[in-house]
Amino acid sequence: MDDHQLAGTLDAGPLAAKTPVLDTVTTEVAAVSGIEVDAPLPAVRLQGVTKRFPGGRNHDPVVAVDDLDLDIRDGEFFSLLGPSGCGKTTTLRMIAGFEYPSAGSLQIFGQEVGLEPPNKRPVNTVFQSYALFPHMTVAKNIAFGLEMQQLPVDEIDRRVAEVIELVQLQGREGRRPKQLSGGQQQRVALARALVNHPKVLLLDEPLGALDLKLRQAMQLELKRIQEQVGITFVYVTHDQEEALTMSDRIAVMDGGRLLQVGDPEEIYDRPRTRFVADFIGDTNLLIAEVLDADTARLYDGTVVRVPTGAPAGSTVTLAVRPEKLGLWHADAERDLRLDALTGTIRRVTFLGNAINYEVVAGERAPVELVVRQGNTPGIEHFADGERVRVRWLPGSVAVLED
Amino acid sequence: MAATVDPPRTQTPTPASAPDEPGLERAAEQAESRRGFLIGLPSLLYLVVLFALPLVIVVVYSFATRSRTGRTILADWNLSSYARLFDPLVLEIGLRSLWLALLTTVISLVVGYPFAYYLATRSPRVRGVLLVLVMIPFWSNFLIRTYAWRVILGRDGPFVRFLEPILGTEGQLLFTPFAVVVGLVYGYLPFMILPLYATLERLDFSLVEAARDLHATGWQAFWRVTWPLSRPGVVAGSILVFIPSFGAYVTPEILGGGRTTMIGSYVVRQFLSARDWPFGSALSVAILAVMLVAAVVYFRTRDREA
Ligand SMILES: Nc1ncnc2c1ncn2[C@@H]1O[C@H](COP(=O)(O)OP(=O)(O)OP(=O)(O)O)[C@@H](O)[C@H]1O
Ligand SMILES: [Mg+2]
Repeated sequence: MDDHQLAGTLDAGPLAAKTPVLDTVTTEVAAVSGIEVDAPLPAVRLQGVTKRFPGGRNHDPVVAVDDLDLDIRDGEFFSLLGPSGCGKTTTLRMIAGFEYPSAGSLQIFGQEVGLEPPNKRPVNTVFQSYALFPHMTVAKNIAFGLEMQQLPVDEIDRRVAEVIELVQLQGREGRRPKQLSGGQQQRVALARALVNHPKVLLLDEPLGALDLKLRQAMQLELKRIQEQVGITFVYVTHDQEEALTMSDRIAVMDGGRLLQVGDPEEIYDRPRTRFVADFIGDTNLLIAEVLDADTARLYDGTVVRVPTGAPAGSTVTLAVRPEKLGLWHADAERDLRLDALTGTIRRVTFLGNAINYEVVAGERAPVELVVRQGNTPGIEHFADGERVRVRWLPGSVAVLED
Repeated sequence: MAATVDPPRTQTPTPASAPDEPGLERAAEQAESRRGFLIGLPSLLYLVVLFALPLVIVVVYSFATRSRTGRTILADWNLSSYARLFDPLVLEIGLRSLWLALLTTVISLVVGYPFAYYLATRSPRVRGVLLVLVMIPFWSNFLIRTYAWRVILGRDGPFVRFLEPILGTEGQLLFTPFAVVVGLVYGYLPFMILPLYATLERLDFSLVEAARDLHATGWQAFWRVTWPLSRPGVVAGSILVFIPSFGAYVTPEILGGGRTTMIGSYVVRQFLSARDWPFGSALSVAILAVMLVAAVVYFRTRDREA
């Protein structure tokens, strides 16, 4: 995709114009609810939102979303990330208005919308299956929302043309959805939602049906469009890589609960729970015994400098990413700024751009570690069975809460 | 020199099953279509013998002459039976049939659509039960069920009694067009519900959600998305109700009485009491033509949707 030819194709006017009005609302609502007055009003605020589905005969209700507290900021690209069945879609559908929360409060720019029907909410959705109207042309599909809002015809035409340019569907206005490729249908779905200038755009795994190459291209393009229009995107995905590349912030969910919210670096480098550490990227999980507030000891006796936050004698789980570990010969000089562990290489896996070494330390209760070294020129390669020293910066180890 | 010698053709070996061998491909295709023909043969014979042949006989008879005694003379071919189709009496019966059939179709649609929609949006278990309920009337004889309506709509039936303040003591429902339409709707409603249910059940309800998401109210979402997408079912159901209603015999005969004759009964009368087979045949051909038009409308619409 050529970014230059797209720059400035969407008129930011109507979007920008809404902001001042919202600011006054910000302070009023914030004052009433007792939340920090200075903080800007979140685009979406969920407080104690719970969704229970009836479980059928003789079954307990299914708790799809469990007591969710979440603020999504204005203008950010926010991802809901989690494994299948964790309640991402349900959360999104509640924001869209297709499901009503069983409990809790749901606000969009300070306005309680939990029980409003979808057509009364300032949000639009890009469906996973696209849900394009098969009996309408591309242009008619895109114009649908504007027609429902009874905008003047010339304005509808102008905005449809504008958004068609934004998603690069020029020349395909007269086609039916069936006559388009998957990627093109995806763009129509996006255009159909964006043309309404929603305050929040909801996307449920919009790239799920595309093949890898197209998926990657669309990831970049979605991000570009989001930056260009400045609308808050709430993006549902179960693909951690996708979430990391595209998001300003990520919420990791499991079993209907929110586990951690943070920007991609935070989520990746400082996972708070075992689940988050494991779900996102590869990780080494190490059990350690707390020595004091700043140190813990692995089973093989290696002392690790971490802010343990637990009483001495208790055990904690540590997480460290394979690529944060360095590999040296066992007889390498000690560097006191780094923590280190000595062990034996048990397996070497060549990945192309990197090499994985499985290192085992200790005998009775061995500590196992995966070390990943970039396959860069000049880097020393090690062999199976070699004695090695694994070293890392103390800050690269995270202490997990569970 | 070796270089000047063309390699012999046989040196490029072609496997026997090469798909780019046109002769083999054609043979395979022919075998395929032969098999298809053999499979279809029994039903083809059945249709020719039992369906097309009687039809041909009807068409032939419609050009024949009736003797004084009511015998059909297969000679002197003429169009006089067709000319009689334009008698005021015949036209009146024809128009009445058309009108009652249309009314039946519209009422069936209005009654059947919401039910089919309800059916399509239930859980599979509830659907099964409701579908069986739709079918139950078919388990007993149509004639008997129509006679039951005679009781319901009769002098001492609940409807007449309930409506006495409006109809007066002399009022009656039986043997009126109203009774005929009630009977026809009753008889043919399942033919409306089933195709409607079939289309609505396949409808992707996320399209309705998408419409709601795009600021459509419930009604707007229905008229802009659900209704156009269920059109094939609407057309199929309407044709399936209209055609038998138009040619109905049993219902108008039992519930309609003498003043509400429909074309079906009139045809039967030509064959039995009037013993005018050529005219009866001409009437049948005319009915056939009307139904053919209806069917063409159906297929046209369906093809346009596809
Ligand atoms: N309409 C419903 N009725 C009953 N249970 C439901 C309903 N919708 C969702 N659930 C249940 O709620 C839970 C969360 O579902 P949800 O669709 O939100 O998951 P998800 O995170 O989107 O998963 P996926 O990645 O597979 O799409 C699941 O256990 C699911 O079975
Ligand atoms: Mg989902």
